[in-house]
Amino acid sequence: MSEMKDMIIEVVERIFKEKVEKETVDLLEANQWAEDVWQLILENEIHQVAVKEENGGAGGDYEDLFHLYRLVGKYAVPIPFVEHTLANLILEFININPHTELSTVHLAAKPLELTAGKVSGSLDHVPWARYAQKLVTLATEKGTQSLIVVDLKEAHIENHTNLAAEPRDSLQFTDGKILASHPLTEEQHEFLTKLQTAATVSKMAGAIDRAYELSVQFSKEREQFGRPIHRFQLVQQHLAVLAGEQAISAAALENSIALLQKGEAGDEIAFARLKLDDASRIVATSAHQVHAAIGVTHEHRLHHYTRRLWAWRDEDFHEKYWKKQLAKNWLNSSNTIWDVLTKKKQVEHI
Amino acid sequence: MNLPTVQFTKEQELFREEVRTFLQQELQKGTFQTKCDSWLSGSDPAFSRIIAEQGWIGMTWPKEYGGAERSSIDRYILTEEFLAIGAPVAAHWFADRQTGPLLLRFGTDYQKNFFLPKIVKGECFFAIGLSEPNSGSDLASVKTKAEKVEGGWIVNGAKTWTSNAQDAHYMVTLVRTEPVTEKKHQGLSQLIINLKSEGVTITPIRYLTGEHHFNDVFFDNVFVPDEMVVGTLGNGWAQGLAELAYERSGPERILSTFPLLNEAMEELKRQQDIEGLAQISKLVAELWSLRNLSIGVAKVLEEGGEVGVSAALVKSVGTKFEQKIPEIVRLLLDVYPQLHADRAVDRYLAESTLHAPGFTIRGGTSEVLYGIIAKGVLAG
Repeated sequence: MSEMKDMIIEVVERIFKEKVEKETVDLLEANQWAEDVWQLILENEIHQVAVKEENGGAGGDYEDLFHLYRLVGKYAVPIPFVEHTLANLILEFININPHTELSTVHLAAKPLELTAGKVSGSLDHVPWARYAQKLVTLATEKGTQSLIVVDLKEAHIENHTNLAAEPRDSLQFTDGKILASHPLTEEQHEFLTKLQTAATVSKMAGAIDRAYELSVQFSKEREQFGRPIHRFQLVQQHLAVLAGEQAISAAALENSIALLQKGEAGDEIAFARLKLDDASRIVATSAHQVHAAIGVTHEHRLHHYTRRLWAWRDEDFHEKYWKKQLAKNWLNSSNTIWDVLTKKKQVEHI
Repeated sequence: MNLPTVQFTKEQELFREEVRTFLQQELQKGTFQTKCDSWLSGSDPAFSRIIAEQGWIGMTWPKEYGGAERSSIDRYILTEEFLAIGAPVAAHWFADRQTGPLLLRFGTDYQKNFFLPKIVKGECFFAIGLSEPNSGSDLASVKTKAEKVEGGWIVNGAKTWTSNAQDAHYMVTLVRTEPVTEKKHQGLSQLIINLKSEGVTITPIRYLTGEHHFNDVFFDNVFVPDEMVVGTLGNGWAQGLAELAYERSGPERILSTFPLLNEAMEELKRQQDIEGLAQISKLVAELWSLRNLSIGVAKVLEEGGEVGVSAALVKSVGTKFEQKIPEIVRLLLDVYPQLHADRAVDRYLAESTLHAPGFTIRGGTSEVLYGIIAKGVLAG
């Protein structure tokens, strides 16, 4: 774990706490975003946290970055921080210098078609494409899968949003010029799906942190029958369930990114993703039940988190994708599931 | 709540390997049969002595009492492996988990020297006497009474749901040593009662499976010498609470039905049922998540941190998960649950189904735990 972590997390959380009001998150509904917060991120070079030092970054690690993603989820910050930094992380992975222009990334889709350096095809649900200059995505040429970089000026862009009003645009490319391409091995592709998944898990864990906190706070403030509602045992049960899901989600995130950092992430990234899918449902249900009517309105901020959870759980490499992958991994394995869970390997005798 | 992550060391991985290999060999030799919920219902004194020979009872305790001064993470690994293979460890379980740590913390030198080496050798098993016919979740209302006499105490009353009293030699018993006042948590003490004493009667309460692991234990003018009082007179409630963190956060709160999950997955693999494996992966993901939490609590415990709320949390969520396994498995395979079925998956399903209701009751009902968690959350 990097020593910078605590300091960076503290600085960024302070920025988000001060600058991201309810109205800031609501900007998305009016087809705007928090450009001032993004400027602060750029000025403080927070977007460079995981970029290697030789590429002008701070040389942080995955853990630093994913903890920042958790904060983006926790404050529902309407900026393309995850997309831009993840795009750059992936570019460094294939030895391309990171972009300074705003970039986005989209991997969980049918790849575009690449022919003689030109790209064609369509992509749906591309995050933040309308505001970004560069896109990192996949394309195939004669059966070979490559990671490509393309200028978004080459795309016809149609604006769409996800359940939480976050930009998720449709792109159409016709013989678009690509800026770079790099063939991917199966292994590399798998690693990238894990990076993308860990990023989503981080955001989800953050939104869960907040939905839980809001519920505890509300149960203390709201009074019915002459007492705060947390005095009722059935409300307490919701709080206990929320606390449990929050703790489990946090532990799932921490354990999976620790393994990713060590280069030992196997099925665990998928496990975290499957668990967070469940946790999202349970947390959204209980948080709304605690908040009752005010929670299902735009006036209260709970929906910033529950709508994101509902949107994110179906984005990127989602539950259905990972269940299938896990089943494939296990079908002909001689390892039992206990071997998998305990990461049985040939340990050198010492 | 954020708990620490634990990465096992190479030595710990090797220890796990050693335990697993040993248990697999014993299983193949026929020393024991895999069972679900074996930590509570599988009492086999002979098997416990085999475990003792390996040095695996009281392994974290000081060497002067026969322990090996290993870390609690090592012990966590050991108990996980027992549970995963469904080994019959109930006979020594309570002494290893609770009585040893209790005596190390509160016991007199005499008690430590007398009991701990015997426990380590697998010669002395303990039961825990808490619940009474009219005191369940409201434990502080216990009525079993100890009255002072020359050189000791005379105990009268009854304990119930006492696991494994039939094989245990002693019982750490929560009794009232002072009359009830408004503060009912005061005036309770922990006495070690020799279950072979005159006036002790143990009668079985058969479980849903028909098996005998619960008991009623009656005390009729049982004499308990002064040196068998644990810790401070009147401090029994606080001493007992300290044990609960160990009791509630361990792997036995998530793995009681694991042998069924494991067998079901092997069956799905044999049938090349990729869709079934995809469905069951949800359970595996949940187990992985709970295990992180439980190990995180073990780490905090080892470092002396406060885990009352997080241990309650592990137990309330973990036991619900243990109950879920049979409910999912029965929908993914053609099964017929029978306690004596030839096919392992049918047998484990029967055991899991019939044991499941107890998971969310024993060691603190989920309802009580929710209250503890909510209180902690609201204070935090």
